[in-house]
Amino acid sequence: MSAQGSYTGEGHSDREFETLVEQHYGPLYRFALSLTRTETDACDLTQETFRVWATKGHQLENRARAKGWLYTTLHRLFLESRRRHVRFPHLELDEAAGEIPNVDPDVVNRLDGQQIVALLGRVDAQFRAPVALFYLEDTSYNDIAEILEIPMGTVKSRIARGLAQLKQLLVKDTANVADNPEAIP
Amino acid sequence: MTMPEAKQILLLHRPWLGEAPDAETSEALALAGRDQELGRWWANHLACQQALRAKLRELPAPARLKESILADRKVIRPAFWQRPPVWLAAAAACVLLIGIAAVMLQPRAPDRFADFRSRMVRSALRQYSMDIVTNDMQRVRQFMAARGAPADYALPGGLERLSLTGGAALKWRSAPVAMVCFDRGDKEMLYLFVMDRTAVKDAPPAAPQVEKVNKLVTVSWSEGDRAYVLAGPEEADFPRKYLSPPNSHL
Repeated sequence: MSAQGSYTGEGHSDREFETLVEQHYGPLYRFALSLTRTETDACDLTQETFRVWATKGHQLENRARAKGWLYTTLHRLFLESRRRHVRFPHLELDEAAGEIPNVDPDVVNRLDGQQIVALLGRVDAQFRAPVALFYLEDTSYNDIAEILEIPMGTVKSRIARGLAQLKQLLVKDTANVADNPEAIP
Repeated sequence: MTMPEAKQILLLHRPWLGEAPDAETSEALALAGRDQELGRWWANHLACQQALRAKLRELPAPARLKESILADRKVIRPAFWQRPPVWLAAAAACVLLIGIAAVMLQPRAPDRFADFRSRMVRSALRQYSMDIVTNDMQRVRQFMAARGAPADYALPGGLERLSLTGGAALKWRSAPVAMVCFDRGDKEMLYLFVMDRTAVKDAPPAAPQVEKVNKLVTVSWSEGDRAYVLAGPEEADFPRKYLSPPNSHL
């Protein structure tokens, strides 16, 4: 996991905490929003993540890994809140969706971030987190695998499937918008 | 390499990161250079990716969020023995003193009941799922016992009249919590949360306390070793309706 900022000295000081919040609360919130789809839940999840850091962050010896730690914790909290019982199957890349439609970039440019989050929220849950990390933070595949605690092959297959689904939704909603300009929320 | 295979490979390629393409990606890129249709798809895909990425990254976080997180930190401070090694090293000289003090010190103050109640309400308002779905209370109790959550809860008479839908074993700051869910009969749910009362420093009194938390009305009380929170949508006579005998002191 690449380092962002250094957390040295009295690692758990107020200043360190403030720096950590300053650097990561925005991206973490966006990640949470892509998972939960609602502002309230995303705020709750982000706040809870920093709460866990406030009580357990001192256990992290390598402070350069704080960013990955925060993302992993947020994702774990999200999964815990959903209490999923279904373990998603490991999908190999060559099993991923074959149909990848062409999307006119103008269609995307006409949407705002909230509308794209709403579309991302309609992508299958197991694909959503890797796709969000893929876009939001330009996170490397290795780091995504580490954050989500899944193998690299699974990360790639989920991103490929998630992107294909997102594009299909964009195409579908573009068609809807042509008929009804209010179609995209 | 077929065109669908090349698309699958290129889908994951992010040239804007400056990542050197691996052999497979290089082959797919070369194919996109030769094949007009694939080339158009790739150019279009790149433009689309850049637009999606930019739109998602420009989403602002709510202004109050940062302040809430920082304010939260002021409430939760790690205990001195939880500080990192620099502090531990400084404290090493006091090991003997700490040893003696540890015997004399009271246990760390437990957490506030209001925090527990608020957290449970948020759990109920969020999309959640039950660990066990059943209308058999005995099965719910067995499930809670197996998970280490409170299973010996006293059910208020008003709740016994509702239909049980199931429950979940939760944790609140390492304390096990039983969540028991009831269908009010009009597609609205009621949630009973039960936790050991020693997990909080200010467990509610035996007489039920009504408090609106977020969008739900809560009634809190203690009985025996347990602290209870009943949460549900606002309605007239909420406590009286559900906490009728055996909790007849309302």
